Amino acid sequence: MRVNEELCIGCGSCVPYCPMGCINLDGKAQIDLDECVECGVCFRSKVCPVDAIYEGELDELRLFRKTFSDPWIVHPSTNVPGRGTEEMKTNEVTGRFKRGYTGIAIELGRPGTGTRFYDVEKIAKACAAFGVEFEPQNPVTAIMSDKKTGKIDERFMNEKTLSAIVEFTAPNDKVVDILKSVKEASKELSTVASLEVCCRREPDGSLPMEELAKKAGFTPSLNGKVNVGLGRPLAKEE
Amino acid sequence: MTHTLHRRGSAESLADDFVVFAIAAQGFNAEGAAKKFEKFFDIVKKYNPNNFGDMRTGNSLVAGEDVIRKSFKDNSIVHAVFNDEDTVTKVLKELKEADLGLSIVVSGLVHKTDECCKKVGLEMHTVEKSLGIIGNTPRLPDESILEVTTMCGHGMIAFNLVKKLADDVKKGRTSPNKAAKEIAKQCVCGVVNIPRVERLIKAMAS
Repeated sequence: MRVNEELCIGCGSCVPYCPMGCINLDGKAQIDLDECVECGVCFRSKVCPVDAIYEGELDELRLFRKTFSDPWIVHPSTNVPGRGTEEMKTNEVTGRFKRGYTGIAIELGRPGTGTRFYDVEKIAKACAAFGVEFEPQNPVTAIMSDKKTGKIDERFMNEKTLSAIVEFTAPNDKVVDILKSVKEASKELSTVASLEVCCRREPDGSLPMEELAKKAGFTPSLNGKVNVGLGRPLAKEE
Repeated sequence: MTHTLHRRGSAESLADDFVVFAIAAQGFNAEGAAKKFEKFFDIVKKYNPNNFGDMRTGNSLVAGEDVIRKSFKDNSIVHAVFNDEDTVTKVLKELKEADLGLSIVVSGLVHKTDECCKKVGLEMHTVEKSLGIIGNTPRLPDESILEVTTMCGHGMIAFNLVKKLADDVKKGRTSPNKAAKEIAKQCVCGVVNIPRVERLIKAMAS
């Protein structure tokens, strides 16, 4: 995002709206483009009294930032708006997460700090060491130059986005070790990450992921997301 | 991915915070889903959600009901926010009867959502839970600010905006309700629980 300095009156109204805190006021508002993730909040908020904020022309890397940061954008690799993945929301239809497996996702940069892709790669590599298969319908997987190792395409390594999700499914007997490894790898991050797990409900009502998470030293949240199974056609159980 | 998952707060703070949303699976049942989203929207609107929206169009405060209703697409994700499980139960009952074929997801306290499902003859199919925040956590602000900002999973609500508006309320420059609406406007999907934000901002300002 950019500020038209001829129009800007230096009122500072836009400053608190930036999720990355990268608008500085030095007489006039200035956006630190290295920190700006092109989320568009400053523009969409319509807080500028003189309409001095604009997007400008985006080259490939600025567009890359926008695709991961602006929820209005539909990811071309998945046709899904937002962060670009349906994960468990449609699981009764897609059959993506089966019994005996746990879905794991690590959202780098959330909440509110943003992420560079060298941090995304640190987590992806830690998970890849367990032989996981990264979710193919996910925009982060789409920019891995080596999906076996979790290596991110060099072009994007220093790019910053509002968040990015490393996502995969793992057999339950590997989950505890993977979660412990993710926790260890997270000590090397310059940013934060929100960690989550999902699974099918067992016929007895239990959620195996909860015990696995506890064994790995985590406390599952009391709240969560529940797919109530109304999508059709239902995926076939294996 | 998980735009309504990582909401933070105690069980008491989260007790009035439920989001019901509909989504179609791309490559499976998305073709023609736009019409089904209209029916979903008609159903949830009957129960007076405190906020609503479509990720492709915007939220109740910025886009407004009429624009949202006219703009559904096959890859829409349509949300409605409610404050109590009795209403969620009624919404689920009606959605079950409507048999739209869309995936329906409820975000909220899981044991309460489970109860809602059982009351209307549904079973939880797949459940997702947060394991919290890892990494360089000293970069994060106070928990009271996170309780507000994590209501928008796409990170559209700046920490600094919450701080400023809480300060504005404290100094009498705005009301908790106006502050809550200004915060909710930033969240494209319309999943911010406006009365909950109002309550949290009021507490921060006192």
